[in-house]
Amino acid sequence: VAKLCVCDLLVAQCDVNCCCDPDCSAEDYSLFTTCSVPVVTGDSNLCSQKAAVYSLDVEANPPERIFKLIDQVNPSIFCIHATNYKQALYLKSPEMPTPENFDRLLDKFGGASFSAEPDSWNLDTDAQNPPDVNETYRYEYGVPVQTEDAFLRLPSLVVSSWCSDENPAGFLVNQATKCIRSVSVEKCDSIQALSMLFYINSSILAVPKSSQMVNITVQSIVVQSLNGMRNLLHDSDVLRLPMVLDELCINVVLGVNYHITYTDTGEIIEAAAAFVLGAISKEALSIEQSFEISFTQENTEAVPLSGNPGYVVGLPVRAGFRPQGYPFPAGFLFAALALSSNKHSQLTILQSTSTQDCLAAQGARAPVLFGYNMISGCKLRITAATKCQPLAQTLLDVLKGQSFPEYVASFGNSQVQDVLDWVPITQLHISEQRISNTLQSSCQIPVSLGIEVKWTKYGSLVNPQARIVNVTATITTTTLKQLPSGRERIIPVTSSVVFTDISSPAEPGYKVWPTINIKLPFDFFYPFV
Amino acid sequence: SSQLSSLPLQILLYVNGVYYIFYFLATLAMIIYKSQVFSYPDDFLAPDLAVLFLMAILEMPRLYLGFKGNLTEAEAPLGLSLGLTVGSVGLCVYLLLWQTYVLRADVVLNAVLLAAYGLESGLKVMAIATFVS
Repeated sequence: VAKLCVCDLLVAQCDVNCCCDPDCSAEDYSLFTTCSVPVVTGDSNLCSQKAAVYSLDVEANPPERIFKLIDQVNPSIFCIHATNYKQALYLKSPEMPTPENFDRLLDKFGGASFSAEPDSWNLDTDAQNPPDVNETYRYEYGVPVQTEDAFLRLPSLVVSSWCSDENPAGFLVNQATKCIRSVSVEKCDSIQALSMLFYINSSILAVPKSSQMVNITVQSIVVQSLNGMRNLLHDSDVLRLPMVLDELCINVVLGVNYHITYTDTGEIIEAAAAFVLGAISKEALSIEQSFEISFTQENTEAVPLSGNPGYVVGLPVRAGFRPQGYPFPAGFLFAALALSSNKHSQLTILQSTSTQDCLAAQGARAPVLFGYNMISGCKLRITAATKCQPLAQTLLDVLKGQSFPEYVASFGNSQVQDVLDWVPITQLHISEQRISNTLQSSCQIPVSLGIEVKWTKYGSLVNPQARIVNVTATITTTTLKQLPSGRERIIPVTSSVVFTDISSPAEPGYKVWPTINIKLPFDFFYPFV
Repeated sequence: SSQLSSLPLQILLYVNGVYYIFYFLATLAMIIYKSQVFSYPDDFLAPDLAVLFLMAILEMPRLYLGFKGNLTEAEAPLGLSLGLTVGSVGLCVYLLLWQTYVLRADVVLNAVLLAAYGLESGLKVMAIATFVS
């Protein structure tokens, strides 16, 4: 204890106000004001221990340092009198590397990261008890997807940007990761993580700890050239392994996209992987790999929800149609057409293009995102020769798009089967002309489409959900006047979407404080009353 | 002269019984406390607990035989009780010296118990001598 000094930080120099520093001389001590470390003791739990006490005697001239070695007694009855366990009061010291254990230590601690319990990664089926016949295993959310040898790996960055292969893919956890891997063209066929085989080699167990295997099939292969252009290959059955060709290494895995299909009992039935293969040049020292995994339930289409349950600002407004031939009353099913993941069959508006020509802009549409008011438009050039009827029809197509939906989902997660969760789109026609120019058979062409979406806040006060209540699509038409020949006119055509909040102010309602209901019985004071 | 049973031994046995219950509960509580506050791996915890429970198991027949032998003035049960006392003394010494953590309270409790055992043994020997002759 006499040799320990916590404040001795500078080597071979005297630390200021450090009374235990052996580098200090008597003149240095005389310049100190206090002792920063007055007592140095061992573990305070011990019953009696040595303590080194340092103090400054300021009375003497010059001030001196006083050093005393005393026995400190712990008065508590629960102090440690003796221990028979050597490491009791000390931290565990790490193993010293010797020639015998060096290899083992290097394996364990030599990498960029090491797990605290490496044994838990290995599925040692012999050591575990055989599963009971009655117990059925199934995957649960977040459980690592098991394969024959270990886990389905989704390489990702751990501490630095370098890829670590120890990241397991969790069941029903859709992930997308990117990381950097160091490569060299000479050794590119020996680096395992660059070849397709590494990612589809081991088959996935259908349920944990079972013997049912699901092979990973190759869904598609996209080949990316050095300048970034991608081509889809037509024969994805052939396994393409990296090989060196003309100072390039081709068929190097740049990205893997896993698609896993599962049943609702937590069993994996299908697994497919889509690859992006590329080439690396001689100068490249590292490449960026991207990995993604997504889970879909069997017999369903992946439908991205726009909110759960209320709409989330920025997500597309979901819309649908009623299929032909269905009777009107409730009980009809909507076509799955609008619920595909293609954004353009949902509620869309015209998208302004750089040419601003309405007739050339057919096809470019932007999805209507909830909460975002949008306005777009184009210019229409009319000459004397333009015919009215086809023009009106074309403009209607331009404004409304090829398939203008009939219903809009009230909530972000409205299901197709729930008829009452869908709001019909009210269509209005307004004609711009004055009433005096009566309803002659003069031609009306639509010049603007305004979609007004009225939404309200629904649900609890602290977490209100957005719900669409009413959608109105207003087409404004105007008369097309005949132009004298040779003249042209340019008419602006606009479409807009406005979201209006019509929620009524909320009235907070709080429950009454509970009261203790004590009532004395009727004859409590018998016989006095 | 008509009564050979030793009164001090009887008193001491009774007090010993009561004290032992307190001793057992206190030592068990302290082992639990030690396992929470200090680092107490299972390899070291198991022997200490085993010794404590073994001592409890030995104590019951020891006291019963002591009572019976003294009251019926028979040497055989008293002699057997003396033998069991030797075992208990050994276990008590283990808990005093070779436990993983010996707290000051441990020292006090075990010392008192050892003193009681020693006094008891002396009184038992004298009682046996009285009964035999």
